[in-house]
Amino acid sequence: MIGRRGELLLLIWRPALAGFLFVLSWLVPTSLSAAATATTSPSPGFSAVFLRWVPVPRETNRLMIEVSGLARDTLTALQSTNWPATNWPHLFAVYVEQPGAQPVPMLGEHQVQAGWLRFVPAFPLEPGLRYRAVFDAGRLPGTSSAAAGKVTSVLQVPVRPERATTTVTQVYPSADVVPENLLKFYVHFSAPMSRGNIYEHIRLLNEVNQPVELPFLELAEELWSPDMMRLTLFIDPGRIKREVKPLEEVGPALVNGRRFTLLISGSWKDANGNRMKQAFAKPFTVGPPDRDPPDPRRWAYQAPPIRTREPLAVDFAEPMDSALALRMLHVVDASGRPVPGQPFLAERERLWKFLPLHAWKAGRYTLVVESIIEDLAGNNIGRPFEVEISGGTSPQTESVNTKLPFELR
Amino acid sequence: MKSPTLLALSLALTWLPIATSAANWTSGMTEGKVTLKSAGPITFGPDGILFIADTKSAAIVAVATGDTQPGASKTIKVGGINQKVAALLGTAADQILLDDLAVNPASQTVYLAVTRGRGAGATPLILRVKPDGGLQAVSLDKVKHARAELPDAPVDGVQGEGKRQSNPRLESITDLAFFEDRLLVAGLSNEEFASALRAIPFPFQKVANGTSVEIYHGAHGKFETRSPIRTFVPFKIGNEPQLLAAYTCTPLVQFPLSDIKPAAKIKGKTIAELGNRNRPLDMIVYQKGGKDWLLLANSSRGVMKITTEDIAGAESITSPVSNGTKGSKYETIEAWKGVEQLDKLDALNAVVLRRGEGGVLDLESLPLP
Repeated sequence: MIGRRGELLLLIWRPALAGFLFVLSWLVPTSLSAAATATTSPSPGFSAVFLRWVPVPRETNRLMIEVSGLARDTLTALQSTNWPATNWPHLFAVYVEQPGAQPVPMLGEHQVQAGWLRFVPAFPLEPGLRYRAVFDAGRLPGTSSAAAGKVTSVLQVPVRPERATTTVTQVYPSADVVPENLLKFYVHFSAPMSRGNIYEHIRLLNEVNQPVELPFLELAEELWSPDMMRLTLFIDPGRIKREVKPLEEVGPALVNGRRFTLLISGSWKDANGNRMKQAFAKPFTVGPPDRDPPDPRRWAYQAPPIRTREPLAVDFAEPMDSALALRMLHVVDASGRPVPGQPFLAERERLWKFLPLHAWKAGRYTLVVESIIEDLAGNNIGRPFEVEISGGTSPQTESVNTKLPFELR
Repeated sequence: MKSPTLLALSLALTWLPIATSAANWTSGMTEGKVTLKSAGPITFGPDGILFIADTKSAAIVAVATGDTQPGASKTIKVGGINQKVAALLGTAADQILLDDLAVNPASQTVYLAVTRGRGAGATPLILRVKPDGGLQAVSLDKVKHARAELPDAPVDGVQGEGKRQSNPRLESITDLAFFEDRLLVAGLSNEEFASALRAIPFPFQKVANGTSVEIYHGAHGKFETRSPIRTFVPFKIGNEPQLLAAYTCTPLVQFPLSDIKPAAKIKGKTIAELGNRNRPLDMIVYQKGGKDWLLLANSSRGVMKITTEDIAGAESITSPVSNGTKGSKYETIEAWKGVEQLDKLDALNAVVLRRGEGGVLDLESLPLP
């Protein structure tokens, strides 16, 4: 490689990206430049090439790398349609430095404008990683690789300081006693969490703190809410449904009369890559299985006084699935239009309350209950989770929404 | 392998799409940028059309990749593909999720749905594996595409404008497959246990939600429950298109595709019970030795090779199983350990993603067993 060791430069940029930066450049002999300029082929004319990491314009958290010192003719040749796109990664590329891994050029866009050549990585550079930009002058149009050298710049992006602040804020059902055929847990977090291999962070422990084997339905898709702050954790239905193999072979995940603990590990990382502030444990006792569908006709109401914003209250007489209870009940007025307001749950998801946006007016209302609301065991209105088939025929399972009228005076 | 019971089934030449001309498949598509919020399961239709499930957008996007030139038969071996994808995307391997794998049958090219990052701001991408094993991002900036939205469920008895007239769909798409002129989509809700299997006509119509049915599992004639589908594959027995599906509670079932009618309730016929510790992950069907076989990747047993010969005439399993996997005969392909995803590469080979030591993922082609 021709050239002598260039100087070490330290650049300054916005604090979020500040870190160690090494720009190593090689000064390329001007004689090479002069000789090449004299030919008719695209000129490799340059005297000194510098690499510089610079912020991407109008973006807050991204860097690109710029080559300066290239002659105008060289840049023109690079803009030519004769310059195949497949040549770019050989001329100028950025690599993540990974021990033991073969270097793969990072995705991004090469840009040529008056005075400079740029590579804009398609993605932000990540904290804690080291990136190497390589400009191979020998790959320039009209240059032989024997006559020029490589210019390399290494950027170490500083590790982001860990801020372990995320916690589990709630696990539903919040009751201390759950049915043996409990269908699911919802785990709520204080901040968005990270996807991928989540089940290694969740354990169901028995009374002697031994993990229950494979209690959950482990889905690669992972059932997150769109904001990644709530995870739905189904108990493996094979260990709930009667007369299917997993239940026959190893029994239910939860056993009536026993105590268990749902444990969420503190090593789980949130969306920013930070560990949780602490582990979370939910101890609970298992009661008998619940095979009875919820029956809205047995629910108790408490009607609010008119001209107040006191909540309408419905007592389910049993805890219901928290997410569905908040979505599947609707208060409508006499014309069927929804009454604006906010539902919330109380008494360990046994009470549903509805706080109206405006004071109640006298009149007729209806509480519309969608039949797919579930209790803790997945029983729907009019249909248990498991339907016992009599005489080998399937029961009628077509269900309609329940409409419960009430009047405020 | 146990000797399969012989049944006369004419299963040959059943995978060719029905006579829809090539031009029609892209009719109604528009050219422009495809923006994905997520890239879940992917599958190919005819003429290099790639279907991408975007669960976060509750939509399926069909993209005309233009990749329609038949490729030469080749061996694929990309060791540490998760590390290579990470390097290409400028990040660490633990920040890469390989969401799905699909082979374009028009070109025998392998495509990957990947996600860069694990948080709410993660970026989904589609990558193509080049013949030399290199990786290439599939640009979605200017492509012919069509989109089918999975609409929110209306609420009977509630009128008017605003959010409360329908329930926002919170559903993960667990599998996709194209069959003849329909895209089949299996979904699992993030909340209710009820789940849906949809058949969406393709090319997508203006209202593209298609037919949605509920799937049930009848256990031994005594109980029945709703049963989300984890993975499935369509195929034909004679002239009758069928669906083979693995439920989340592990039974392997079969039902005719013609059962997918508006407001239908489908109860699959249980043809095998896979048992505990055995979570179905992915499956394909293929022909070998004049017979049709099902390959099922699962979490514990390596890959199961199951004869489909006795499916047509089999009675549903009607009694509990005390030992061993009941129903259709199968053998475990021990050499295929660690396989998490698979697709058929060509008539003789499959391509698999398999996890090895230290969590490293390899992409490789393997002769169909």
